[in-house]
Amino acid sequence: MGVLVKKVELTWWERLYVVSVAIGMGVTFKHFIKQLLTPTSKRYTIQYPDMKKEMPKGYRGLHELKRFEDGAIKCVACFMCQEACPARCISIEAEEFSELNFTQGFEEKRPATFKIDMLRCIFCGMCEEACPKDAIWLRDNYELAAYDRLSMNFGKWDLINTYAEPDGKARLTQAEESPMTPSRRTVAL
Amino acid sequence: METLASLLHTSPATAWMAVKVLMAFGLIMGIAPPLTWAERRGSAMIQDRIGPNRAALFGKIRILGLVQALADGVKFFFKEDLVPPHANKRLFWLAPLLAFVPAMLGFAVIPMGRSFLSGGTEYHLSLLDPGNGMGMLFPMAVGAMAVYGILVAAWSSNNKWAILGGMRASAQMVSYEVGLSLAVIAIFMVTGGYDPHEIVKAQQGTFLGVLPNWYVFRQPFGFLVFFVCMFAEANRLPFDFAEGESEIVAGFHIEYGSMKFALIGLAEYGHILGASALITTMYLGGWGIPFVADHGQIPVIVTFLVFLTKVIALCLVFIWVRWTLPRFRYDQLMNLGWKKLLPISMANLLYFAYRMRG
Repeated sequence: MGVLVKKVELTWWERLYVVSVAIGMGVTFKHFIKQLLTPTSKRYTIQYPDMKKEMPKGYRGLHELKRFEDGAIKCVACFMCQEACPARCISIEAEEFSELNFTQGFEEKRPATFKIDMLRCIFCGMCEEACPKDAIWLRDNYELAAYDRLSMNFGKWDLINTYAEPDGKARLTQAEESPMTPSRRTVAL
Repeated sequence: METLASLLHTSPATAWMAVKVLMAFGLIMGIAPPLTWAERRGSAMIQDRIGPNRAALFGKIRILGLVQALADGVKFFFKEDLVPPHANKRLFWLAPLLAFVPAMLGFAVIPMGRSFLSGGTEYHLSLLDPGNGMGMLFPMAVGAMAVYGILVAAWSSNNKWAILGGMRASAQMVSYEVGLSLAVIAIFMVTGGYDPHEIVKAQQGTFLGVLPNWYVFRQPFGFLVFFVCMFAEANRLPFDFAEGESEIVAGFHIEYGSMKFALIGLAEYGHILGASALITTMYLGGWGIPFVADHGQIPVIVTFLVFLTKVIALCLVFIWVRWTLPRFRYDQLMNLGWKKLLPISMANLLYFAYRMRG
């Protein structure tokens, strides 16, 4: 079964070709002028290193481990994300911590290590869905590249700091241990 | 002129010839690289893109990517100059020159400005002075030589794609030559001579009171044929049958690389420039300012600039057309050449011959 292609009959005016060419050149000239007068920032092309694309709201890019306002990590090391991860790229080790456990026996859980292998991660967002504490977010950074495999293995401190600068938050280092312990000094028991 | 000649310890004629050679050579070499830039940026603008804008002098001065031509040139010079083992080595080396030299030679008779008197002798702004007996026949003849550049490049490569491209391009160029010549003859007849200086002189003043007395308006059909044929001669889209990305890859220069390829590319722009100069001289009044009948008082540099403006504008039209029109099919091309353009130029010739019957 072939498709019957209808032959387009051109009028003598179109068959002159000169007129059609003139019309076509008008079209290209219009595009030329339009593009020439459009400022660079409004053209279709995003000139990548200088300009960056505004990612849509639900975009799933590089993860961030969220913290409370006082700087304490939100993650409670419940392993939900690790279980949910279809790519098996998250590996968590939990630890107990408390600064009050001598007096009140107050104990909580937090991740000792929280690793995401970005080479395995498929950015599906399941960890974000699974998290009961809203502690892990997939955000808008898509510029993930490194020179070796090891540096694509993000640890806890990397993940906390992934959006440190764009947010205007201070970058945290492991040396500053204090913000990691919650300063809930007046805990009602 | 005398002072310049005495400074250089030569005769004024020799000094003037040196100046003219520098001018003609500088014109082609100076315009062709920016033309490649104009082609790329222009095509980008037409297609709503941006085009090359990254290349920068010393990593800082970008000037709209104008340095891209320079960067390309440097790159071509440092690339490996490869001659494929199955190619005919001598012809393979000769072909880029055969493509490039005719493109340059065409400029020899084109007057680039008003002739002027200095110290009792008349100086002309064309390499060959008027009355050399060749006149406009010279660029026509030399332009036809460009076929050999393509054909030799294609043949010596010993590559099937190259030969296909070269053969059909040469067939196209030869068949468009006919219509071209007939269109030109009408001009020679009306002018009463084939010297470019006479042709330019014949186009000064006004025509019908409102138009410049150019042959475009006096012989519009002849111009149409000439213009279209010039596209075919310069191997530009919509007549770029030497190449064909979708059919025969790069066509005649498929085996070429490094500076030989660049020379072929430069020859293409040389041909565009040559074609523009020819069209300017024959149909757009050469160096003449429109509506001005007597150029005796106008400075030479102004006439030169007028010529340059016309040539560059035409070059841009060449680029513009390339990014507007799709290419022809081969049979359509032959149809157009033999069944449309040739009869039109014949009718044009007969009409003007009839009008001149005296």
